[in-house]
Amino acid sequence: MAPRVILCALAALLFVAVRPFAAPASPDGSALGGALDAPIRVEVFSDFQCPACRSLYMETIRPVLRDYSSKDKVCVIYYDFPLQMHQYARVAARWAQAARSLGRAQWLAVVDALYTQQAKWSENGSIEATVAGVLTPDDLQKLKKGLNDPAIERQIERELTLGNQREVKSTPTFFVTAIGREQRVVGGLPYPVLKDFFDRIVK
Amino acid sequence: MAVRIFHWLSRVLLAGVFLYSGWVKVRAPLQFAAAISGYQIVPTRLILPLADYLPWVEIALGVLVLAGWKLRWVAAGAAALLGIFIVIQTSTYLRGIEADCGCFGFGERISPLTIARDGLLLLPALFLALQRSPASSTASSSRK
Repeated sequence: MAPRVILCALAALLFVAVRPFAAPASPDGSALGGALDAPIRVEVFSDFQCPACRSLYMETIRPVLRDYSSKDKVCVIYYDFPLQMHQYARVAARWAQAARSLGRAQWLAVVDALYTQQAKWSENGSIEATVAGVLTPDDLQKLKKGLNDPAIERQIERELTLGNQREVKSTPTFFVTAIGREQRVVGGLPYPVLKDFFDRIVK
Repeated sequence: MAVRIFHWLSRVLLAGVFLYSGWVKVRAPLQFAAAISGYQIVPTRLILPLADYLPWVEIALGVLVLAGWKLRWVAAGAAALLGIFIVIQTSTYLRGIEADCGCFGFGERISPLTIARDGLLLLPALFLALQRSPASSTASSSRK
């Protein structure tokens, strides 16, 4: 009798443990890659000056964008979550947010440059030189004009608030939503492992 | 009597630890996969299957220890699993890798403390694996 009761209680507990989580109805940010209605969504809370965020972008997210988002199988959404401990993180986030208003290609180019050349601009805050290398002079002028738009700061604040609401404590933290279930990952995850996971769903 | 109390304490402790540990991981297989990859010991192809199935093995061990089914064998299995955890954690720590333990939640680095904790958990598992069943000891004591 007792073992049966124990088993029933545990079965109920496990049902609660593995039930699908309610995914947000619509993401607050626009996608860095892939369609918003892709079967898998990856939402990354990241800081441009954080070395682990760079690793996640370079080693995991970049291949995801190349192999899955380009085919609209995975939607990658980036949220700015600049940490106070990083002197230039918030400025970098402003540049990226401003690039976002130019279009996805420009936004992606700026995000890519900021992570690729993180070591360079992190030393002295030379973000303009980094961004200038990947934009046309015309786009750079537009971006610089847009930098002081108060909407940019508001957007960064919104994304920080969203991160706090989702209990983001450190960067990078990302959420993978697929088949109605959301999973949080703090830190990095090798691309081959994430690829195995994606291939179960969208191959 | 004291042996019987220790027997039940061991069962409850071991079952509780395995159930909690499995439950945490079942809820977050990708985070657990990240923890496994941090150990740099498991081939990449095996990381996701391990992250999927190991928590269920832990839960099954917890349930069986609590239910008392083939207790000595199940406890031996739990001891073996804990032994594997200890060896892997020690190896990772000695290689100087700062990996997430992934033991009872996430965000705790491997340290001598986490290794010692697993070592302590080994004691009740070994006790249950090596102990004659309490039912038979009760029967023999009542016959005296």
